[in-house]
Amino acid sequence: MPTLSFARLHYTYPEAASRALDGVDLEIDFGLTLLTGASGSGKSTLLRVCNGLIPHFHGGVIGGSARVLDRDVIRTPTRELARDVGFVFQDPELQAVYPSVERDVAFGLENLGVARGEMLRRVGDALEMCGIVHLRSRAVGTLSGGERQRLALAGVLAMRPRLLVLDEPLSQLDPEGSAALLGALHAAVQGGTMALVAEHRHHLVLERADRCLLMAGGRVTPCAPDGPVQPAPARASQDAPASSELSWRLHQVTAGPAGVAVLHDLDLAGGTGEVVALTGANGSGKTTLLRTIAGLLPPLAGSVERRPGRIAYLPQNPSALLHRATVRTEIDWTLRRTHAAGRADAMLEEMGLAAVAERDPRDLSSGQRQRVALAAVLAGDPSLVLLDEPTRGMDDAARTALTAALARVAERGGSAVLATHDPQLVAAAATRVVDLGDGVARVRRPLVEAVR
Amino acid sequence: MSTRSLAVWSASGLVIALSTSNPVYRVVVLLCALNLLLARGRRGSGARILLTGIGIAGLIATLLTLLLSHTGRHVLVRLPAGIPAIGGPLTLEALAFGLATGLGIAAALLAVAPLTLVSQPHELVDALPSPLARTGAALGAALNLIPGTLRSAAEIREAQRMRGWRARRVADWPAVAVPVVLTAIEGSMTLAEAMESRAYGTSARTHFSIQRWAPYDTLVSVTALLGVAGFLALVATGGAPGWFPFPALSAPAISVPALLCCALLVVPSLRVWH
Repeated sequence: MPTLSFARLHYTYPEAASRALDGVDLEIDFGLTLLTGASGSGKSTLLRVCNGLIPHFHGGVIGGSARVLDRDVIRTPTRELARDVGFVFQDPELQAVYPSVERDVAFGLENLGVARGEMLRRVGDALEMCGIVHLRSRAVGTLSGGERQRLALAGVLAMRPRLLVLDEPLSQLDPEGSAALLGALHAAVQGGTMALVAEHRHHLVLERADRCLLMAGGRVTPCAPDGPVQPAPARASQDAPASSELSWRLHQVTAGPAGVAVLHDLDLAGGTGEVVALTGANGSGKTTLLRTIAGLLPPLAGSVERRPGRIAYLPQNPSALLHRATVRTEIDWTLRRTHAAGRADAMLEEMGLAAVAERDPRDLSSGQRQRVALAAVLAGDPSLVLLDEPTRGMDDAARTALTAALARVAERGGSAVLATHDPQLVAAAATRVVDLGDGVARVRRPLVEAVR
Repeated sequence: MSTRSLAVWSASGLVIALSTSNPVYRVVVLLCALNLLLARGRRGSGARILLTGIGIAGLIATLLTLLLSHTGRHVLVRLPAGIPAIGGPLTLEALAFGLATGLGIAAALLAVAPLTLVSQPHELVDALPSPLARTGAALGAALNLIPGTLRSAAEIREAQRMRGWRARRVADWPAVAVPVVLTAIEGSMTLAEAMESRAYGTSARTHFSIQRWAPYDTLVSVTALLGVAGFLALVATGGAPGWFPFPALSAPAISVPALLCCALLVVPSLRVWH
């Protein structure tokens, strides 16, 4: 009997007009399975069926057959399936139940009624497996995004699941964090756990995967033999327009949140027509630098100069922006508030959102939401664009659209600064890479070296 | 110090503060609670905000009593009788009674404050008896959402400002309030999903951390229980008289045994200062 067996599975969300899953036939028995597909194709929905969150938590209409570890998902509550199915969500910030690392890892074991001695052993093992033993006494609130994601995995691994389901686990991780998480995942799979991973940064998972599945239109098909297609960089660094005028400048800037310096004595500038990529490990100060350039965080020392004009700022959490009833009105709101010329249609088209223009942004998948948030901040020709992890949860098509939008900003004499872990975006869009670490910035050229 | 013995101490202080109108005993409870907070309060636990809130609550109680109770012999000032509710004489007796009321509120709140300012929220949850363990875990998780919601509110305000939002009139606020509320709801839903996905509610819960009960906890609990039991007995037998300043202001009567009962609440902080 396969570990996971779906037959003619279909599912429709409450009040949705169309099926999110439309006749899924799937049998998986062992190893690591990579699930790819465009934003909104149904990947997260399929994953949620694996542990019964769909239909038990979300409601809706489900049909066909879904069996996981010989249990009927449609008839078994999530909390029962959780004994054998571990689930790691996309957003690590919202998964922690307890405020300290050790306690949070133990949460699932407490629920299972595991004796304390056994619990201590399992917590230690899970922390070690995920490479976060040194964090065991830390408060969850002090962890970086990457550390939190590994904590979420540790909390699930401690329960020793037979099936592990991960939804975009690498979307916020730096290369080091990604490698550590994939290492832990690989160790779990070697230990006999079956894993199903949905991930847009599929090239990172593919080399360790036993199979690859493509999700499109609510259906699953095997990937092409050579895996998902890697997009070619849309814009080479040599094509970048030469900088002619200063757009922003930091002079001897020391900055950090709550008066604690994260960046020290920074001298950095960007010109018009430039797209600067800020890279560096989680917690290296990328967001701090963006907020300082934006004027949202006053520097603790030094000064910041900006060319007059509108600044577009995308925070890490796209939901921070979304408050209108439709995608179109969300973009219109920015145009109206900034007294900018132009119409929402052009931006909808550019970001590939025309088909969902009249939908509530919060009903969309996380990748689509990210695109709506981008469209909302980029509307109205800003002169300086500051984007914090703009490709989080984005598929290749959306990344290409973003690259084109950034090129348009640069061609019109604007400039952009991106804080990102996404090497494909850096390769496609950036004219210069600034690597942050230990509170200082290192400007790296040529671009190819930085991407490598 | 065990959270359970702290809970016994808090309950004792609360009962004493609420069972008497005598400001002297209330002051003793208040001082014992302040002493405990100073001795054992966690850094960064929000004590300053709480103390400010308690001060404001006490002040409001005092003002309301002064303005609304127009009895007493010693008139401080007369407000025009035409003013609804507060018009009439404001008396020294009403002011004194208001202060005593404010003191009672402050003493009661401070008595329970150590539960959150000395203990961690999850310690409090762990201290709950087994039948309440599930509810406690849900409560702990909900408490854990608060800092995140505050952070997201600040982030949302910043992000909307960059899109041209300015808080000029009431109609501008939905641009910030709607995402804050929706993000908080979504955060709660995701947390609920995460808890369900980690077998929350499957079976009887066990606990990772053990609430250790030391002889010192027995001392704290026994002295607190002796204090409250003795005080209630004295109140019931007229040995710990209350206080009522009307119609003319008088000094509150003080009973030494009742004072000693209240003073037993100082035990938890003695060890730290020692």
